[in-house]
Amino acid sequence: MRSYVWLTIVGMALATYLTRAPMFLALARRPLPSRVRLWLRLVPLAVLPALAIPLIVVRDGRLAASLAHPPLWGAVVVFLLAARGVNLLVSVTCAVTVVALLRALG
Amino acid sequence: MRRLRIPESVRDGVVASLALVPSVFVYGTVFGGLAVQAGLRPVEVWGMSVLVFAGASQFVAVPMMAAGAPVLAVVVTTYVINMRHYLMAATLAPSFRGFRRRSLALIAHLINDESFAVTVARSQPPDAGVYLGSATAISGSFVVGVLVGTLLGGLVDDPERYGLDFAFPAVFLSLVAVQLRRRSDWLVAVGAAVLAVALALVLRGNWHIVIAGLVASGAGALLLPSREEETCDRTSG
Repeated sequence: MRSYVWLTIVGMALATYLTRAPMFLALARRPLPSRVRLWLRLVPLAVLPALAIPLIVVRDGRLAASLAHPPLWGAVVVFLLAARGVNLLVSVTCAVTVVALLRALG
Repeated sequence: MRRLRIPESVRDGVVASLALVPSVFVYGTVFGGLAVQAGLRPVEVWGMSVLVFAGASQFVAVPMMAAGAPVLAVVVTTYVINMRHYLMAATLAPSFRGFRRRSLALIAHLINDESFAVTVARSQPPDAGVYLGSATAISGSFVVGVLVGTLLGGLVDDPERYGLDFAFPAVFLSLVAVQLRRRSDWLVAVGAAVLAVALALVLRGNWHIVIAGLVASGAGALLLPSREEETCDRTSG
């Protein structure tokens, strides 16, 4: 059992390092053409919504987008506050509070 | 005597990550508590958290291990869940030009969703110091959270009740909001969101993040005029 656990952990560590290091080491040391730089600027604009929106509207492999779904309102709150330049800590705290309150009520 | 001075950008990175520290810490304790309940020894849970340091994949791996899944199955699942790091690593890498190879190899290990989000929202191109500060704050609160969780059990039984699960999408979303300047930015972000939701409904693991991230940013980079990039470098940041 124990060697199984450590073998799995080391395997997981290597697999994860393989997702982090190669690109990081390869791109850190050479100048990049402008189209690649454009791509790198767009990556966060694509990855962040791809991370966030499914966390908000997908639950157990199903779409959870009804108006009674608290995270939807939290998302509206945090987006509007952030777009108006409200501090990150404040806007996230407001959104978390809204979600917690709606869940308590629902 | 010389005093150790912490660069301002590193401090900025720590401060910018504070909104996430409570949630990362609490999820660390939850993970630590769950993993011990699932039959792992504390030292194994610490080892995993330091060596793998990728929360989502660890939450998936522990029940698999408890069920005695083959090593290869756990490792491949971990790889697929973490493939999104390729994109983040590519984006962050050019900011680390002057660093030694050995430092790069170590810094790469700390790549995480939260620090990536905080750093790219702060400036374009991203700032190495901000990333280092954020990665320190995030990895520190995660590992300390895991430590506390393995010793005391999860501190909060049901983080969802307090909306703590929502802190993660909330941070990601607010960090996109501040980056949407041009119409093309909106197109890429909305396109990625729609594609990611559609894929998340049909695919397991974290494929939807990898595919939507790659397709939306790739399409933008191929279709938009790359001259736009030069004006961007001067106006943003």
